[in-house]
Amino acid sequence: MSKFNVLHHELVPEHHVVEIKEEEKVLNALGITKDSLPKISRNDAALKTLEEMHGKIEAGRIIKIVRKSSTLGFTEYYRVVSNEVFK
Amino acid sequence: MDSLIIKDLKANVDKIKKQMPCNYAVDYEIRGDFKDGYITLDKKTIKFRISISGIEEYREEKDLTLKKKTGLKTIIRISKIEDIEPISVAEFRVGKRKLKEVTTFEKAERTSIKITKKREYSSNIDKPSMELMNKFNEKGVKIPLDSATRLLQLKETKGVKYYNKVVDTLVTEIKRRQVDPYEAVGIIAAQSIGEPGTQMTMRTFHFAGVREVNVTLGLPRLIEIVDARRTPSTPTMTIYLKSEFEKDESITSRVVKEIENTSIIDICDIETDVEDMTLTIIPIKERLKERMVTLPDIIDALGREKGITILPEESKGRVIVKPQQDSYKRLYATQERLKTLTIKGISGIKRAISRKQNDGSWIIYTQGSNLKEVLELDEVDSSRTFTNDIVEIGQVLGIEAARNAILNEARRTLEEQGLEVDQRHLMLVADMMSFEGSIRAVGRQGISGKKSSVLARAAFEITTKHLLRAGLMGESDSLTGVAENIIVGQPITLGTGAIHLVYKRNEPAKQVQ
Repeated sequence: MSKFNVLHHELVPEHHVVEIKEEEKVLNALGITKDSLPKISRNDAALKTLEEMHGKIEAGRIIKIVRKSSTLGFTEYYRVVSNEVFK
Repeated sequence: MDSLIIKDLKANVDKIKKQMPCNYAVDYEIRGDFKDGYITLDKKTIKFRISISGIEEYREEKDLTLKKKTGLKTIIRISKIEDIEPISVAEFRVGKRKLKEVTTFEKAERTSIKITKKREYSSNIDKPSMELMNKFNEKGVKIPLDSATRLLQLKETKGVKYYNKVVDTLVTEIKRRQVDPYEAVGIIAAQSIGEPGTQMTMRTFHFAGVREVNVTLGLPRLIEIVDARRTPSTPTMTIYLKSEFEKDESITSRVVKEIENTSIIDICDIETDVEDMTLTIIPIKERLKERMVTLPDIIDALGREKGITILPEESKGRVIVKPQQDSYKRLYATQERLKTLTIKGISGIKRAISRKQNDGSWIIYTQGSNLKEVLELDEVDSSRTFTNDIVEIGQVLGIEAARNAILNEARRTLEEQGLEVDQRHLMLVADMMSFEGSIRAVGRQGISGKKSSVLARAAFEITTKHLLRAGLMGESDSLTGVAENIIVGQPITLGTGAIHLVYKRNEPAKQVQ
């Protein structure tokens, strides 16, 4: 790993891995299926750093992102890990 | 603890995998004690990790399971080999120098940090504000932090009764102003950004208050952002130093010199001697001092070049370089190549300028951008430093950071021109551009080109291509969007058009005569 921690950068919001048993609850609350969630590619820098802490994160897992927002205080956003590579 | 990095062939790695543990003989001397090592196949990325249980001198009688070729010198006993996620050799350091490539073997230390969790935003907020924000949350609306603080101030100054009234009014007002279901937010965002966009100066080049660093602003910059260009026309970085260094002028100027890319032509004269077929590189003393380069640095840099013989004349303070082949063409080619040889600095950064802020701290602005390498410097604050290259931010810091970068850059560009655009519109654009996990442009190549509906794509650009392709592939269109419904002449799925009304007919009441 490189010498800096991606997650500590100002531009990077909080990333959390959603437990598999929690996933259904999240999707029900949003009223959508997994494939209509926004995606995060499997080689995403922030995801790679998360993997350093949690071990391998498979495609299809949901990542919860807590954003600092100037209009809403904090917002929760969800992304699903996709198989595509960041270009 | 140093690790051993070996360059090897795929075939050899396969052999090691089959016969483990094994004695592996190599034709170079390795001194020292190693517990683990890495194998690279292409000099740049490391794909395998090995556990080493011993290194000894080569002896002929030793039972060897694997041999490379003749002239063997060292035996490495490999007890385990495993595949790892590819890592770059740049993550390794030899002393203070970063490893660039491994040609045979290298003794290097892996630089790493312990990854710690990001501090949660909510932990930075004082308790009363948090409670207030939660209270609003329960009522179904959300307010930002600064509004919460202001409300709490109001409670202090104007009393609880007034405060309660304000809170209640706020909740009803926010609810009233929320976007209705099926409202066409995209169109509204497009107009809200497009209209002020017409007010922008067509071409603005602004010297953002800094000497010689020129930044594209105005409409060209806004177009650049939504087009998601691979590299912006004027990439610049804003580098913050760690809080303990940021007020120190001498450290700042040292960092400036460290990152500024210095090539031979910047600090030396090159003389061509046609008779002897040599090039004489004469460093200029003042420039050496100014850029903090020494003669051994130059010799070191020359030493990494191929196809030349170096004859240092340190007493005279110059270096003579001779191409290995005697020809005028080669001599000229060598001279041209050496001119741009990087001696020190970070590639991509052409200039760096430091500037003092009002609070006495220093910020470095650069021309050219290389986020990853700058963030790895010891003095640089790796949590605030950023670049205006959005795609680069996406590569180094991830998609969410890129989304924030789009938002910040667009907002800054508009504010610079004195235009007020509601942030929510820009957020929508940023969210759409980052939806697929990588940055997509707004337009044919990106968002509009990837719509699921055939007719919507055909209506946008290159009609025949999309229709023909859809015909060949047998695509179907579920007519859920706006454009496709207009084409077939149906009500669009927006606003009232999205709602199906069923008339429940009661028995007609008897008419009163």
